[in-house]
Amino acid sequence: MPERRTPSRLGGQDRNGDDTPPDVRFIRVPSIAERKLGREYVAPMRLDPRVLDQMQETIRGLETKYAEALKSQVSMLQILVEPACKGDTEARGRLYSLAHDMRGLAGTFGHPMVGRFADSLCGYLENCESEGWKDGTVIVFHVDAIRDAIENPKTDAAVTMETLDALERLIEASRRDRRKRG
Amino acid sequence: MNGGPTSADPDFFGHLKVLIVEDSVEMRNLLTALLETMGVADIVQTRDGKSGLAAFARHKPDIIITDGAMMPMDGYEMTRAIRAAGDAEGANPDVPILMISGHVGRDKVTHARDQGVTDYIAKPLSADTLYKAIVAAVSKPIHFVEKPGYRGPSPRRSLDARRS
Repeated sequence: MPERRTPSRLGGQDRNGDDTPPDVRFIRVPSIAERKLGREYVAPMRLDPRVLDQMQETIRGLETKYAEALKSQVSMLQILVEPACKGDTEARGRLYSLAHDMRGLAGTFGHPMVGRFADSLCGYLENCESEGWKDGTVIVFHVDAIRDAIENPKTDAAVTMETLDALERLIEASRRDRRKRG
Repeated sequence: MNGGPTSADPDFFGHLKVLIVEDSVEMRNLLTALLETMGVADIVQTRDGKSGLAAFARHKPDIIITDGAMMPMDGYEMTRAIRAAGDAEGANPDVPILMISGHVGRDKVTHARDQGVTDYIAKPLSADTLYKAIVAAVSKPIHFVEKPGYRGPSPRRSLDARRS
């Protein structure tokens, strides 16, 4: 059951109750562990290193399957670039969705640079509006970088960081051009 | 290792029901595999905020793990709806909501906090980060603010994205 407390017992800026509106209440609810385990539970909960090891093993077990999916996804990216840059809205949506998935997952499965390149591409697409799609240079270079990172995973980290820097400069130059054109 | 009722092991996680709201099938599969490895046996999956809301009311999960950007309803809007709904037909209004997102800018994290997200995890996800976030969500007492139209974590607290 929730227990009511005065604001002064709780953390954050809310602890100063002087400016607390009268219709705001502060509540402490028992933790899920307290509710599930009752009196057996004694905080704090101990982390179990065996569980963490098993979770990491689970990720390693999925890496091969993900690597195959990643190859298919980058092939699809290459197919989608041209129609997307020519204005096909469905192709744009699918291209962004693929890059967004790579941004979220590639790093987890041992492809951190793919994730970084995909993150850079997503950041560009989220802010470029239609003009940025029409100038396909930035998108093409990102897709090439992603493909290269998958095909050559042992490339020197310094080289991939240089590529990332170059892509960022390319994005900035593209933005400047669009601003000039108004 | 001496497991027991107060350690974050499969015996404990077997008591939990977790709702995953995520539009990426690969991410749903990854989260499901990791939760199953932790021992969570009761996992519900949905692919957007709207179906997540329906699943929240129907399945009454102990924890929600949600993506941020989804269509037609995103994780932020779903979170706001849950925090505004109160006791939705018996569903737990105090449910911890963990948002996992590739958007880690301060504005997005602040927006998530303001909607009532409990914790914010940056992609790419690691086993370590997920495990610790879930253990924190289930083991810490829940301090909530209740005001008209909102019941959830304080929108004035500090919240940073957990990074792997």
